[in-house]
Amino acid sequence: MLELSIRKAVGNFSLDVAWTSREEVVALFGASGAGKSLTLQCLAGLARPDSGRISLDGRVLFDHQGRINVPPQRRHLGYVFQGYALFPHLTVEDNVTFGLAKRSDLERHRRAAELLDRLGLAALAKRKPAELSGGQQQRVALARALAPDPPLLLLDEPLSALDAPLRRQLREDLGALIRSYVRAAVVVTHDLTDAFQLADRIIVYDRGRVVQAGLREEVFANPASEQVARLLGFRNVFRGRAGSVEAGLVSITWPGGVLRSPLPPTQTDRLTAGRELTFFIRPEHIRLVRKDRPRPLNPINLLAGRIVDRVDMGATFALRLAVEGERDSETELLEIDVSRLVYYLLRLDRDELWEVTIQPSAIQLVADPGSPAPGSNCKILT
Amino acid sequence: MALALIAAGPAPAAASATDTLTVFAASDLALAFTEIAPRFERVHGTAVRLVFGSTGNLVLQVRHGAPADVIFAANISFIDQLASDGLAAPGSRRLYARGRIVLATKSAALRALQLRDLVGPAIRRFAIANPEHAPYGMAAKQALESEGIWDRLQPKIVFAENIRQALQFLQAGAVDAAIVALSVAKDPEVRYTLIEEKSHQPLDQAVAVLKSSKRRALAGDFVAFVLGATGREIMTRYGFIVPK
Amino acid sequence: MTADWFPLFLSLRVAVLATLVTVATGLPLAWLLARRRFPGRGVLETAVVLPLVLPPTVLGYYLLVLISRGGPLGGLFDRIGIELAFTWRAAVIAAWVGSYGMFVKAAQGGLELVDSKLEQAARTLGRSEWSVFWLVTLPLAWRSVLAGSIVSFCRSLGDFGITLMVAGSIPHLTQTMPLAIYDRVQANQLAEANRMSLVVVGLVSILLLGVSRFARVRL
Repeated sequence: MLELSIRKAVGNFSLDVAWTSREEVVALFGASGAGKSLTLQCLAGLARPDSGRISLDGRVLFDHQGRINVPPQRRHLGYVFQGYALFPHLTVEDNVTFGLAKRSDLERHRRAAELLDRLGLAALAKRKPAELSGGQQQRVALARALAPDPPLLLLDEPLSALDAPLRRQLREDLGALIRSYVRAAVVVTHDLTDAFQLADRIIVYDRGRVVQAGLREEVFANPASEQVARLLGFRNVFRGRAGSVEAGLVSITWPGGVLRSPLPPTQTDRLTAGRELTFFIRPEHIRLVRKDRPRPLNPINLLAGRIVDRVDMGATFALRLAVEGERDSETELLEIDVSRLVYYLLRLDRDELWEVTIQPSAIQLVADPGSPAPGSNCKILT
Repeated sequence: MALALIAAGPAPAAASATDTLTVFAASDLALAFTEIAPRFERVHGTAVRLVFGSTGNLVLQVRHGAPADVIFAANISFIDQLASDGLAAPGSRRLYARGRIVLATKSAALRALQLRDLVGPAIRRFAIANPEHAPYGMAAKQALESEGIWDRLQPKIVFAENIRQALQFLQAGAVDAAIVALSVAKDPEVRYTLIEEKSHQPLDQAVAVLKSSKRRALAGDFVAFVLGATGREIMTRYGFIVPK
Repeated sequence: MTADWFPLFLSLRVAVLATLVTVATGLPLAWLLARRRFPGRGVLETAVVLPLVLPPTVLGYYLLVLISRGGPLGGLFDRIGIELAFTWRAAVIAAWVGSYGMFVKAAQGGLELVDSKLEQAARTLGRSEWSVFWLVTLPLAWRSVLAGSIVSFCRSLGDFGITLMVAGSIPHLTQTMPLAIYDRVQANQLAEANRMSLVVVGLVSILLLGVSRFARVRL
């Protein structure tokens, strides 16, 4: 069990975070400069918080009041640096055994061979880091950190230096590797997919604060605030006003019209009529009303608008639809993802005016920005 | 590797320090003492180490603890100062010679020069020892002042560390003339004219054994040798006037 | 006149000793300046560079005051029976003072270039600060440290003004090569002066050439 509560000021930036995690992989997710790497360094003892406390499995690593600060040498944590920080003057094997000073030569060799083998690096044992590819270097860094058998592994942007296809493959390998070798890990990343695939728990950082902490699915399903939703890369985030509740659906009044969305059970008491709220719509769930087919009978959440922007994303197209509002002066932009096939099939390159329908379940309510986001700066989450 | 090479070299003289007599001597004694010292060594069977320099510099070093056993100055006042500061062994102060200054040029060059000629265009630069700390330099300045040309010659004067260096400047051709001691001017390359004794303070040269010396008896022997028959003969040959 | 080899061997001995002292004291200092921020750091950096730009006679004078028997340092040593001024020890001190700054600057530069992340990695792997320095930092900075040592050695070999003031030019005791050459010139023994000078130039040239070749050929 990792318990962390620290404050640190560096120049104009101030870090003030507190979270805990049990035996699992935790991702510290957020934009660059949010304080994630700094947290990791404090965990490892490479940076010293101004105040607070860090403990792992009951063992206190740092306590400002108790004047405890265990030096990094004795924390016995594995650390995989961004950029890997492999020793350029040592061979792969020597890099891997660097942390095994206190063991016999035989044991070191055995352990190195075991790890190198498992990571597919056996043939490279005598090479120098400069001769290796990015993916190989990453694995060596991993092997080196794992060799001393640490209870906790810290990884700083482990995949950011790799190109897309390699990244995808290593993401899977990494997840499996971490779980088979260590009891727990903390991964710092600004990549959403990395966080989602590697972690059990996600802690969202924003400008030195934790804005949401929780299990992976929970965070993605229920972002605690508009801010978190944006950080998680959600698009089509809008503000609106709650209306009446009918048949389990709440109506939302919005500059683009009136929408109906299922009412999440946790929010029944909070959504009184007239209450302001934030919601988002997943772009892939917005359906264009096909002009070559008969119109659906009871279209739900029907909106009309004009395509004002088209971006070719390769496999898909990202469209922006300007939705006509109740008043002519107001327009909202709706982002829609369509596959390439559909794009050309429906002649979206030329035809501008379109209607769309949105499944109620595709509209997700975000917690009222006024109330505290669940999981932020609090100790334990279910 | 490099260490072994260095260890193989001649051992530092420190090993034989107990036997070696260190003699600080004014530059004007360079030629004379280079003859006297080996003779003393042969007679007494002990090594002599000569260190030459301008009197002022030598005295300064002695004041800071330089390991001299005896110091031969080029005047009296420096020795008197040492005595009054308690650095000289009591009773060891003696007059051992009087020196003369000469105006020297390279023999191949100009005809024999008089002091007055220094003003002329044929002499672009000439050297004297630094009057601040070399008694012979002081005497040169006094002689030029007597002649009334000291101020006018300022732009042409080059100060040397001591008269040995002044002579070297002349020999190297860096200066056209130099005022040096008679005792060092006896060189085939050099032509000189004597400068009148009246024009400067007498260059009475005194010696003292240093109180800090660990070889006072030996130092006394050396002084005696210089003042003895052999010493006097050599000193006279180099143009010094020796006391009766 | 037979060649006198004493000044050369004295100079070599003095330079080797001075360089050893320089590296032993300068390396920790260079590391401190490269890695740590602390109040008074600017003062320390200035103090290191100062001897390189001050006139040798100024340095020599203050050093003499310091180490002569009446001075604070000299007096201390005198009480335990060790003479400093006008001995070979003074020559070593003079050479050390004159060349120390060169080494520290070169070593500091090299150490600063070592990525501190590598040192951090070594720490997380359980290595003591000492091990981090010997196994990671120094091996990656050895070229600068070596170059600094050689330059410092050459400078020690050639010191004149400071040595003259604190050690004097006592033949066969403290008269190093540069002082001996000067003495020969003063005595108009130009052939001898020339011979000695060529030896020094040759030696230093070989050293510097060797360093640049060796350090560049490797990797």
